Amino acid sequence: MAVRLSLASTWRAARPSKEMLPHTMTDPPPNRELIEMLALSRSQKLPQGGEDTQILELLVQRDREFQELMRVAQEQGKVHQEMQVLEKEVEKRDCDIQQLQKQLKEAEHILATAVYQAKEKLKSIDKARKGSISSEEIIKYAHRISASNAVCAPLNWVPGDPRRPYPTDLEMRSGMLGHMSNLPTNGVNGHLPGDALAAGRLPDVLTPQYPWQSSDVSVGMLPPHHGNDFGLEPPGHNKENEDDVEAMSTDSSSSSSDSD
Amino acid sequence: MATNQPKQGSENDDCSFLPLVHDVIKCMDKDSQDVHQELVKFKTRIQEAREQIGAMPGIDKSLSEQQHELETLREQVHTKNQLLQKYKSLCMFEVPKAS
Repeated sequence: MAVRLSLASTWRAARPSKEMLPHTMTDPPPNRELIEMLALSRSQKLPQGGEDTQILELLVQRDREFQELMRVAQEQGKVHQEMQVLEKEVEKRDCDIQQLQKQLKEAEHILATAVYQAKEKLKSIDKARKGSISSEEIIKYAHRISASNAVCAPLNWVPGDPRRPYPTDLEMRSGMLGHMSNLPTNGVNGHLPGDALAAGRLPDVLTPQYPWQSSDVSVGMLPPHHGNDFGLEPPGHNKENEDDVEAMSTDSSSSSSDSD
Repeated sequence: MATNQPKQGSENDDCSFLPLVHDVIKCMDKDSQDVHQELVKFKTRIQEAREQIGAMPGIDKSLSEQQHELETLREQVHTKNQLLQKYKSLCMFEVPKAS
């Protein structure tokens, strides 16, 4: 009996209570025949070879086991409630961790963007430092561009004025390219029309009245080199042109139209 | 058992079937007509106990398995609390001092 009890307790510890409780209730099955036999043995008061005693003992033992299992089941119920509370705590912590993870990811993204933009700006700064140009040169270059009436018409320009913001056909012919193309195979006295201009003998009608058509060009001076421009005054630069430049920088007149 | 666990006396009365078996045997002794009623009562009590057992929570596992799960959950809660405390109090970025 003791061995059976120890084996039963070992087996019970490994099995879920849900399986053990019905087992204790139905083994042995408390049916009418069993109870009748017990009642008969009591009424007869005859020894039945200890069988009824064994049955009674088994019944008492089963009842005891059932009560014990019910007690354990109630304890398990309390433990189950505590486990549910802990599971809710774990869920809450998981939510907090996920929230922190999202914030960290967002901060990482913002920082990565900021670092990238900062690096790009540093590159631009280095690049600007390497190719730095003095502001005086830029202002002189801008002045030279605007002095040629290329960005705005002169104040005294009217429709019909032959002046244009671009080199006209006449100017091109009177320039170096025009002189090169007019080789000495044609012309008056072996001189080309361009040579006539170069010698200052071109009729006034054909002489363009532009700031750069100065005495420097008439003596066949080469166009000033780009690198030396900033140190020299532009050809034909005079006070009138200076006024024009100042006026042109703020002038908003309409652009010129082709006379052709 | 009754003297050692007086608080569980009422619970034992609810769980124990011996009083019902005793009532049935007594009725049989007296040859009364209530034997059938007592047997029906006995059966009903067993059925109620079965239903009660089916509705009890947490008895899907053995006590040892449940204790093991409980310890695991406690460790999880403790670890996650520590992690959250660490990350909330951790200064990840070194703020440069103004020179």
